[in-house]
Amino acid sequence: MFGYVRPYQSELLVKEYDQYKAIYCQLCRILGKEYGWLARFSLSYDCTFYAMLALSVSKAGMTECRRCCGANPLKKCRYLEAEGGAYEKAAALSVLLTYHKLLDDKEDESFFKSLGCRLLLPLVSRKAKRAAKKYPFLAELAETATREQAEAEQRKTGIDECAEPTAKLLSALFGELAGENAGQKAALTQFGYFLGRWVYLMDASDDLTEDAKAGKFNPFLLRLGLSDRRELTGEEQKHAEEFCNNALNFTLSMLLPPLNLIDMEHFGPIIENVAEKGLPEIQREILFLHVRQKSRFHPGRAGK
Amino acid sequence: MTDPYKVLGVSPSATDEQIKEAYRNLAKKYHPDQYAESPLKELADEKMKEINEAYDTITAQRKAGNRGYAGGYNPVGGNSGSGFNDVRSLIMSGRIADAEQILNGVPPERRNAEWYFLKGSVLYRRGWLEEAKDHFSRACQMDPGNGEYSAALNQAMSRGSGMYGGYNPNSTMTGGCNTCDLCSTLMCADCCCECMGGDLIPCC
Repeated sequence: MFGYVRPYQSELLVKEYDQYKAIYCQLCRILGKEYGWLARFSLSYDCTFYAMLALSVSKAGMTECRRCCGANPLKKCRYLEAEGGAYEKAAALSVLLTYHKLLDDKEDESFFKSLGCRLLLPLVSRKAKRAAKKYPFLAELAETATREQAEAEQRKTGIDECAEPTAKLLSALFGELAGENAGQKAALTQFGYFLGRWVYLMDASDDLTEDAKAGKFNPFLLRLGLSDRRELTGEEQKHAEEFCNNALNFTLSMLLPPLNLIDMEHFGPIIENVAEKGLPEIQREILFLHVRQKSRFHPGRAGK
Repeated sequence: MTDPYKVLGVSPSATDEQIKEAYRNLAKKYHPDQYAESPLKELADEKMKEINEAYDTITAQRKAGNRGYAGGYNPVGGNSGSGFNDVRSLIMSGRIADAEQILNGVPPERRNAEWYFLKGSVLYRRGWLEEAKDHFSRACQMDPGNGEYSAALNQAMSRGSGMYGGYNPNSTMTGGCNTCDLCSTLMCADCCCECMGGDLIPCC
């Protein structure tokens, strides 16, 4: 996915930040352990959030320990280990989503531009097969979401229809975490739906200018009647960004009520921070400060 | 019954004030208004009932009065002059897919303001927020005087403004008092004091 779902660090308590980082590091470790060192590069905030939510709604026992960092042997990191397979599931999801992203990029880009993808694909596809064997439902969800996404964008449909595959993906992923508890499942399903929708809309907002330049399909450009424009004027750009921000706010306003109804055993404050402050902060950074995603802060390097 | 203190997330030694605050925070979270259009309405009502009971038990135990919560509104209510009573009752009972099927079967020339409003309500419940907003505004254009339609549109518009979560570019996220404000306020206060013969900051 895209790395948009993360906490707003300055509003976290130090102990909460440490916990978050310990989850992040442990997920990185499990990725390395289960799928080899290359898989560690697929680590993202989104899958960390998924692991955190999975731990938060389960009753699995957790222990914290200190170990050398996999990426930098001289550094000691905290790791939050857990029973119950939450990390393993998140790791599989991370590998599967990366695999589908690469496949998708291979189709979209020209031969030379996608050379990197083409070289990586055989390696990643082996790992993806392993993940799919262990978690068939994850593989199916990721595959369906990618396929429906491509179809929706090919048909050049509206904003809501384009957002549906990602929304449904997160909705199914989060709903599954509830197990047999019907109330919890309803709340998690709704929460996932709007989080997925938000992620898709954020990504589309982030790509707005680039897509306009490249003449690629973007549901916001289509909605605003700017599909045929290569260069947006300042006025148009500003209007488009405000339109995106409104759509994102609308989605967040629907995401917060179901979140209140989820029973969380752990990390409640961190998850609330993500929804109430982290996501709006991303909107601010991308739509109003124009900080591109790639140059943003990374917790793995926070210790330095 | 579960421990009422646990339900409110406070310790039995908490003061009346702390209990009231915990209750208020939870009541805000589960307040039925937020879930009026959501499939989670029942779950929220259940939670609301739970905390109401817990609060009532504690206050009764502590010899204070009772309090309860009533309210919640449902924008798609009964409407006597409606041509779509069947659709309205389907929406109210949560059968969204059935309601949509009937609406989609209405031929384009018979699609009036109410049709757009109801279709918008169906889309809203499905989470298709942008199209819901478009349908509400179409309904308002066709029948500008209708309070029901404009309430739905206003609700959808205000949710995009950042009032209910999200980012509002027109308001600062921090308290609005930065270091500069603080210094200039202190300087002003000092000047005022000096005018009156006193001194707030002795060095200037």
